[in-house]
Amino acid sequence: MTVTTGIMVGGIYALVALGWVLIYKCSGVLNLAMGELTLIGAYVSLSFYSMGMPFLLALLLSLIVGLVLGILTERIFLDKLIGQPVLTVIMVTVGLSFFFKGTVEFIWGTDTRVFTPPVFSIEPIHIGPVIVGQAYLWSFVAAIILLIIFVCFFKYTRWGLAMQATADDEMAALSLGVSARFVYAAAWAIAFMAAGVGGTLLGNINGLNISVGYLGLLVLPAVVLGGLNSVPGAIVGGITIGVLQNLCGAYLDRYFPGGVKEVAPFAFMAVFLLFKPHGLWGWERIERV
Amino acid sequence: MSTTWLPCGVYHQNYVQDHAWWQTKFIKAKMILLLIILFVIIPLVADSYVLSILNLVGYTILGAIGVQLLIGFCGQITLGHAAFIAVGAYTSTLLILEFPWPKILMDWGLAYPISILIAAIVSGAWSVLFGLPCARVKGFYLILTTMAAQFITVDFIITGYVSQIGGRGQAFSLPPGTIKVGPWIIDSDLKVYFMMLVLVIVCVIGVLNLIRSRVGRAWIAIRDNDISAEVMGINVVKYKLLAFYVAGSIGGVAGAFWISNLAAISPEHFPWFWSLWLVGVILIGGVGSIHGTIFGAVFMVVVMEMLQLAVIPLADTYPKLLMDFLFIKEAAFGLAICVFMIFEPNGLAYRWWQMKNYFNLWPFSY
Repeated sequence: MTVTTGIMVGGIYALVALGWVLIYKCSGVLNLAMGELTLIGAYVSLSFYSMGMPFLLALLLSLIVGLVLGILTERIFLDKLIGQPVLTVIMVTVGLSFFFKGTVEFIWGTDTRVFTPPVFSIEPIHIGPVIVGQAYLWSFVAAIILLIIFVCFFKYTRWGLAMQATADDEMAALSLGVSARFVYAAAWAIAFMAAGVGGTLLGNINGLNISVGYLGLLVLPAVVLGGLNSVPGAIVGGITIGVLQNLCGAYLDRYFPGGVKEVAPFAFMAVFLLFKPHGLWGWERIERV
Repeated sequence: MSTTWLPCGVYHQNYVQDHAWWQTKFIKAKMILLLIILFVIIPLVADSYVLSILNLVGYTILGAIGVQLLIGFCGQITLGHAAFIAVGAYTSTLLILEFPWPKILMDWGLAYPISILIAAIVSGAWSVLFGLPCARVKGFYLILTTMAAQFITVDFIITGYVSQIGGRGQAFSLPPGTIKVGPWIIDSDLKVYFMMLVLVIVCVIGVLNLIRSRVGRAWIAIRDNDISAEVMGINVVKYKLLAFYVAGSIGGVAGAFWISNLAAISPEHFPWFWSLWLVGVILIGGVGSIHGTIFGAVFMVVVMEMLQLAVIPLADTYPKLLMDFLFIKEAAFGLAICVFMIFEPNGLAYRWWQMKNYFNLWPFSY
């Protein structure tokens, strides 16, 4: 039961983690604003939904908003930073995260908001011996469908292949006529969209407030676990973190009260890094002076 | 690397002269003037509001120096420094409130100064604990482990366990009169201001001296290229951990100092936002310069206060603005970092250097 719930939530983390890995692979930007991207997507779709639109339409519209915002963010802030040191780029994303968070809090406030009327009914579903909440199940299904769509997009479409080429070798891709600027913008747009869907689904499970942004931060342990530049790693890492989080919440909370669930992924990550600094499938760079 | 302009005909003949504190009499005079302004003129003219802002500046400087040391001089990016400040603050508070001090120490008012020293040692050790992964990882992975330090320390250990000591619940209140340095009870902004000045000056001079010593050169070598540094015979892990220790200690001093300004401390005083704020301060001030840290702290605190002052007149028409000022502050901070990183990546210290050059070379700029 705990494991199942963990896998379901992990599916959502995997979706957000995929967006993160995508940005890193394509443009080398280590994005610390991922949590806020989930927040924005979630609040936008909540606004559309409370205007009375059907849920799917609201989700679709928030995807479009995410697309536009992603391209704008890349053009305004990140475009000028190509070739700058790592710290500069990271701090710009930190600055962006504060900017987004402040704006979201200013517009939508800090109270917990729920999707009314509820999108998924509260009746649990029995799958064999396990009992799963409907919100979890449908979120998982949606996350998996989107994951498959994204993976197919990379494997089979022209744009996806262009993005893969840029990730692999930017110079070669440029010389073959791939527009790197387009690829960067596309990566940010897709990350925004994936994070938005992830945020919406998380908001459906527990209600929506600023702490959803914190849940978005949990993708960092997930991507570190899987390796920074590996798409399958992101998926496995996301699901692992989800399961780990729920197991810790269920078993360790008794012995260490006070929010083991929130801290466990980070503690696990810190220890994990000591033994496998490049994650499960990350590239090991050989450094030369 | 001499950063000062010497008068015509004066040349340095060895490195000792190059790194001397007072290179010309003019610099010495300037520094004495600065000290007079800080210790005599400001306390005479400033009112309580200005002093409280200056205290906030001092606290920011104390916190940011450690971050500057790690990021600007040793190249170890940290996003969890508020954790070490929190450890310092809590160590000092717990020592004052719970430790059975001998009567003689209490009478002489030594309890608080001793607790500051112990806080520095404890938070330095705590910082080394979370700096240990730097032996294996660097760059982005190190950022993540320092983030883990923040969440584990503040959100888990301090909130869940340390706050329960003595059964006080969430916050530790500090009754007035508990914080005493020598014969003075620290109870007004002015006394906090003097304490802040002394601590900031001691820490700044200490760090500046460390940087021009063997240790500091080792740190700079590690920052520039850690593999080359190792080849040159520097024990990289040892010096990295030393940097974490010193930075954590200064953070501990900052935390232990700040409790003198608070009536009660709770984990909400040390959020992740504060860690990032400190990094923002050094980025805006200029990475790799101590006076950049000071510029950054002054700039950030003063700009935020001016923002608040600017919002107050608008509050009549838009009451939401004042109510949600915290969020505006957050957004403005984020935007400021982005703008500085994009348009002024060298920070305020670089501008200052350019201005100084201009006036030193005026009227012939060649």
